[in-house]
Amino acid sequence: MASRKEVTPALIVELAAYAELPLAKGRESVIQPTLEAWIKDANELSRKMSAEKYRDLIPATVFRHPDEPEEGG
Amino acid sequence: MGKPSGSLLELTLAQAAALVKSREVSPVELVDACLARIGAVNDRLRAYITVFEEARKVAKAAETMIAAGHDLGPLHGIPIALKDNLAVKGTRTTAGSKVLADWMPGHDATVTERLRRAGAIFVGKLNMHEFAWGGTTDNPHYGACRNPWDTERFPAGSSGGSGVAVAARTCYGAIGTDTGGSIRLPSAINGVVGIRPTYGRVSNHGIIPLAWSMDTAGPMTRTVEDCAIMFNTIAGHDAKDSSTSRAPVSDYTAGLQLGVKGLRIGVVPGYFFHHLQPPVHDAVKGALKTLEGLGADVVDVNIENIHGNISAQLTIESAEPSTYHQRWLREQPQNYGEDVRSLLEIGEMLLATHYLQAQRYRTLLRQEFMEAFKKVDVFICPTLPVTATKVGAMKVIIENGVEEDMLSAIMQFTGVPSLTGLPSLNVPCGFDGDGLPVGMQIIGKPFDEAFLFRIGSAFQSATDFHKKAPKI
Repeated sequence: MASRKEVTPALIVELAAYAELPLAKGRESVIQPTLEAWIKDANELSRKMSAEKYRDLIPATVFRHPDEPEEGG
Repeated sequence: MGKPSGSLLELTLAQAAALVKSREVSPVELVDACLARIGAVNDRLRAYITVFEEARKVAKAAETMIAAGHDLGPLHGIPIALKDNLAVKGTRTTAGSKVLADWMPGHDATVTERLRRAGAIFVGKLNMHEFAWGGTTDNPHYGACRNPWDTERFPAGSSGGSGVAVAARTCYGAIGTDTGGSIRLPSAINGVVGIRPTYGRVSNHGIIPLAWSMDTAGPMTRTVEDCAIMFNTIAGHDAKDSSTSRAPVSDYTAGLQLGVKGLRIGVVPGYFFHHLQPPVHDAVKGALKTLEGLGADVVDVNIENIHGNISAQLTIESAEPSTYHQRWLREQPQNYGEDVRSLLEIGEMLLATHYLQAQRYRTLLRQEFMEAFKKVDVFICPTLPVTATKVGAMKVIIENGVEEDMLSAIMQFTGVPSLTGLPSLNVPCGFDGDGLPVGMQIIGKPFDEAFLFRIGSAFQSATDFHKKAPKI
């Protein structure tokens, strides 16, 4: 497993650039503590959900196939 | 007719509706009493963004109709308020934002339309956390909404205005919306009843979304019976919202008197009564004892993967709003409040794999709960681990003096129904030493809202927490 990369303000500026999100100066420091905490927890959840025993689980969001035509638009 | 307005405001929705039908009270009296009350308290509480003075004209029409024998339905002439993310045709609908400060929808939300059709009279649009993305209702554009039990405390959110409006007796019921807890949190913190329906039971058409895969709308009232009456009018399939189900709709008031004898209540050891402020722990434990005294059994049930739900909740609840707001965040970032802007920026930086693993976790958690429902009928836990904190606080102390992030902390229990799509009902079940309300959350099987109302009604028949009123 790769070592954990620190979520620094500089990294946030790069991530914003990837998302084509113009981040006003100083915003990277504002969001850094929360983003770092959330990514750490999200990575932990990803590790759990990558376990072999969960291989067959599909995401909760799925396309629906209505069995009847819509009424009245 | 001719009751003093103070006593009119103490009526429950069910009582007021019965008096309107029997022509003992006029809709005009009810609306006048509510508008006067709003005028008296709204400067202090900031529960309403918009007040509909024209409701008096609607009330006059409702009075004329009832006198002529035309009864529109169970809410005929009853003053109701709507969270300001529900569209009302031709009326400003802000979602608590500056971005939509001047938005005038061209149509009603389906929930608005159904309430209107049942005879409800709208007295105003309610304050909320900006775009429903947060749990404090400390709104930078329309003022910080305040808790009527102590105006130095927060009302929770995002439907904070809805909880406050009901608790402060400014209307007989309100509509809130709930993605990660936004009906249940302010219901608990303000001492009122509120239901997050099964995902797909109530239409979201015409409601500004927060996170599509978890958004719901539901009523908030003072009693369980009132909540069931309002739910009867809004539940059901809507062709304008493909996420709504065609599962049959019950009469949600029919079983309110059936009691809880033989009911099996599940609790998850090591999670439901762990990491709580002591008064919350004691109040909810006390509620379980009350239900046991009424004939219910409490059963320990393990949900193996319940830990991890807060991260899944935050990941989904940040990625989806950031998608909805993507254009506005680039065009007018300055028009967002500081906290919502930050959350929307954060949501752009999570990975697609984070989002999809969180969605796979929902499947897992739902499977575990559905398996557990073979052993129990419902689960009961605190709605949130704390009572109302100070207005403006971004941290919360739960135990041992340790400060925690507010958003993560308050979702400790509400995230579970949000992720699993299960219905859950907040019922007031006590007060802390400062007189601040505590709520319990009853979580049920899909589309089993009637059963939740039955349990809540049995509890309210045996207790009087819901009869206490804040002194404002």
